[in-house]
Amino acid sequence: MTLTTARMAWRNLWRNPRRTSLALAAIGLSLALVLVYDGVLRAYADWMRETITGPLLGHVQAHAPGWRKDRAMDRTLRGTGEALRAVRGAPGVASASARVYAPALAALGEEGFAVLVLGLDPAAEARPTGLLAAAPERPAGKRVLMGKALAEVMGVSKGDVVALVGQGADGSLANDLFTVAGLVSTSVDLVNRQAVLMELPVAQELFAMPDEAHEIVVHGSDPGASRALAAAVASLPALAGAEVMDWERLAPEMLALVKFVEIAWVFVLVLVFVAAAAGVANTMLMSTFERTRELGMLLALGARPRRIVALVVSEALVLGLAGVLLGVALGGGLVAIGHRTGWDYQALTGQGPSELSFAGLRWSLVLYPRLALADVLRGAGAVLATALLAAAWPASRAARLEPSRALRS
Amino acid sequence: MSVEARYAVRSVTRNARRTALAVLGIGVGVALALFMESVNRGRDELFARVGATSGSGHVRVVPGGWRARRDVRMRLADPDGALAAARALPGVTAAAPRVRAQSLLAMGTHVVPVELVGVEAAAEARVYRFAGKVSPGRWLEPGERGAVVVGRAVAERLRSDLGDEIVATAVGRGGNIESLMLRIVGIVATGGDDTDLSVSHAALADVEALTGLPGAGEVALVLDDWRATAATRDRLALAVRGGDEVMTWGEINPEFEGHLAQDRATSRFVSGIVLLVVLLGVASAQLAAVLERRREFAVLSALGMRGWRMVRLVVQEAIALGLAGGALGLALGLPAVLRIASRGLDFRSFMGQSYSFQGVVFEPILFGDVGLWIVPYALAVSVGATVAASLYPAWFAARTDPASALRVAQ
Amino acid sequence: MTVQGRSPVVLAWLLLAPLAAAAAPPEPDVPALLRHLDDLYRSRSSIARIEIAVVNPRSTRTMRLKAWTRGEEEVLVLVEAPAREEGTATLRVGQNLWNWLPRISRTLRVPPAMMLSSWMGTDFTNDDLVKESSLHDDFEAKVDRRSESPPGWWLRLDVKPGVVGRWARIDLLVSDERLPIEERHFDRKGRLARTMTFDEVKVLGGRRLPARLTLVPADAEGQRTELEYLDVAFDVKLPDETFSLSRLERGR
Repeated sequence: MTLTTARMAWRNLWRNPRRTSLALAAIGLSLALVLVYDGVLRAYADWMRETITGPLLGHVQAHAPGWRKDRAMDRTLRGTGEALRAVRGAPGVASASARVYAPALAALGEEGFAVLVLGLDPAAEARPTGLLAAAPERPAGKRVLMGKALAEVMGVSKGDVVALVGQGADGSLANDLFTVAGLVSTSVDLVNRQAVLMELPVAQELFAMPDEAHEIVVHGSDPGASRALAAAVASLPALAGAEVMDWERLAPEMLALVKFVEIAWVFVLVLVFVAAAAGVANTMLMSTFERTRELGMLLALGARPRRIVALVVSEALVLGLAGVLLGVALGGGLVAIGHRTGWDYQALTGQGPSELSFAGLRWSLVLYPRLALADVLRGAGAVLATALLAAAWPASRAARLEPSRALRS
Repeated sequence: MSVEARYAVRSVTRNARRTALAVLGIGVGVALALFMESVNRGRDELFARVGATSGSGHVRVVPGGWRARRDVRMRLADPDGALAAARALPGVTAAAPRVRAQSLLAMGTHVVPVELVGVEAAAEARVYRFAGKVSPGRWLEPGERGAVVVGRAVAERLRSDLGDEIVATAVGRGGNIESLMLRIVGIVATGGDDTDLSVSHAALADVEALTGLPGAGEVALVLDDWRATAATRDRLALAVRGGDEVMTWGEINPEFEGHLAQDRATSRFVSGIVLLVVLLGVASAQLAAVLERRREFAVLSALGMRGWRMVRLVVQEAIALGLAGGALGLALGLPAVLRIASRGLDFRSFMGQSYSFQGVVFEPILFGDVGLWIVPYALAVSVGATVAASLYPAWFAARTDPASALRVAQ
Repeated sequence: MTVQGRSPVVLAWLLLAPLAAAAAPPEPDVPALLRHLDDLYRSRSSIARIEIAVVNPRSTRTMRLKAWTRGEEEVLVLVEAPAREEGTATLRVGQNLWNWLPRISRTLRVPPAMMLSSWMGTDFTNDDLVKESSLHDDFEAKVDRRSESPPGWWLRLDVKPGVVGRWARIDLLVSDERLPIEERHFDRKGRLARTMTFDEVKVLGGRRLPARLTLVPADAEGQRTELEYLDVAFDVKLPDETFSLSRLERGR
């Protein structure tokens, strides 16, 4: 199509401003809606991933072989300090920290309760998606945090002194007194119901595991590259002999959850696409059929059928491109704004809690939509193709009519 | 019939192609919306049903105070009365009494801590999802003692198989430690390790003997229609005595309920988008049609048809189109809806045979919902969309200035 | 229902056993022999010093304990070594279990559900400790064969029907002195689950007994628990308040 043809098509279009504006609006808005939905879909998938991997799981974890099966206190990673230094220096690593998991007995008075002591690095876990993100205070020294649900069951309040008794990594009896500096409600249900959060070096000392830990958790700069990150971390000499896995392999049920939701949303995307295409097609068909008289006139004046079709198609092409641009601008704009401010799910849907818990995690529902280039191209391409086809067909039908019949309609 | 109505009918039939196109557009949109709604409802129902029958039951009678303390050693004040009251209610598929005990299962030196569940074999089979999935072996028989059905992960950790005798030990009344021999009569592979560990079911009488605490600790009900959950809870609460309480499964598992709420919210959001797109399509098509009829409206106006009558004309045409479109939408959509209602949408090829989270395992097959809602829904969407879409054109048509519209050049 | 499971460990009861040194011994009177074995460590009361070693592929841990018992319901255990745990004490009265922790001056009650798991990290479970044992009552026994080295008799014990317990069968090697040398415990599937060996026979508290017991689980590589009696006094007079919480806290 030459520039002249394009300009002619454009001028032709604007000879019927209302019809053109309508078609433009139909294409543009449909595409905009598809893009917005796509943006929200991606936001949802990102959000799920981040919420799953954020607090406890991380992107990559390292353990002593066999620890995940029986959680034995003495299956530890040795030389934790050195290992952490090595991991932090590896490419693609955003942060790394170590943890201790020790089952123990906690008592405010005489009554003992089964708890899990979690020794962790307060600075690392205070990240926005970390365990201590919403914690009132960080555990330090003999000051620990307790899960809110656990504290309720035990009757513990802030400031109380509890005894913790457990078994050290060397089998010895570990016991000491700790002050509960605060109660936490994290996004991990297990922590809220069972955990006492302690500073890592204090836990290491209490449970006789100097420079040892049960788990090293790593966050990468690219959440999608967890598998590669796991391979990179596993190859470090400091972690030789350790079991290193990415989150998808560690928690396949989480992966299944993410996949399930993605599939469901893609399924709906297809429906949305079809609905949008139907709308655009309907509009283009309608407008083009309405032009049968006009086209008939051109035929009567001697225009060849092929040129009629070409004329309509080129108009449709220019219209389509203009509509697509409009749709991308509108849809892209909405997504961009949403990305900056974030959409509160509750406000969007008008119902449902703003914070939810399922799969053992508490999820706060603010979505940040985003689009990939592929989404835009796919949406624009589909809408454009629909518009073209929906214009070409009636045009070719009209062009093959006898002029007198066409004029009569 | 009024003039407008007759005109509407004639105009609709006169331009067959335009009408057909409009009706087709509306029909497709309605079919999509119908499909979407059926899938949404089916998904709601799937999660609700699965959550309920995987152990919780839709409604449960629990001892007073259990809500806060959640101690398995608590017993119902009036277990027989509660069971009778539950079975007497309409809409109750089955009611099953249970008792739970923190227990240790042992084979030689291998031990597994479990929550042993004492059940009434026949009643439980109608309430508990996994009772029909025992393989190898079988579910418990009514009146059978000394038998246990365990999850596969439990059997594996005990290094045991079907037919083996294991020792079950529990702490009961007064801190007494009691033991019992149980023979494994059935093994259940639930599809998830965590869920496997929740399967260790024995006769109610055996667990009573083990703990030394008589009576049931809970009565679980499965309803014919899960939507009647809240109403049934309220009715049953009036009938139970002794301080016992009645809870819905959502109250027992607030996390799962949270997921459902989020799911419902999501499906509303998505339905909204689909409807919006359908509305957009219908509107633009309608508008296009009306715009092309400017001359026609101009003539009518010149002939003396007043503004509001033209609006009525356009709206009546829209209603006619909407009804026809709705009918077509039903014709197009209903086969698809019925198909997924009977065969279901099978996601198993994407996700594996079964899918588990939060201790709930189910096959990811979604059955669409069919019900009386279908026809009203289709008509509401089609007529609603068409009429809403025709409001601007209607207003536009009424405002047409005959003189300018009749000018040849457009 | 009777329950069986041997526990010659901390609950130490005793009956004096006539010692017979025979040359070409006749087959033993099995029921009497079993009764004798059941009562080997029993007494109305006792005070003992014991050393326990828990060995696994990763480490070895040794503890030295002092234990007071009275009847079958009351036990007080005080840890003497290692230094880190010195002064820690455990009191059992009936079905209640308390721990005294000197470092933090606190007494804690162990929740009943936790009593089901392993005792102090050894291969013994609390199960072993709190149950009554009876080879005589719970098993059908017969002589299996003669053993020349060490000299003694192999007995074959099969659990009686209706008895609740983990062991379907026990193979028992008893010396001509009527002292246990080895016990093999078979689980309900007939698999060898663990082996107990008794050696270092000496005079303890006026009785001639094996002072050392070793428990080896069958399918755990490199793992075992060893228990050694350093000294024992049987049927001693114990003050009434020995088995009380206040006594627990005061320590000795």
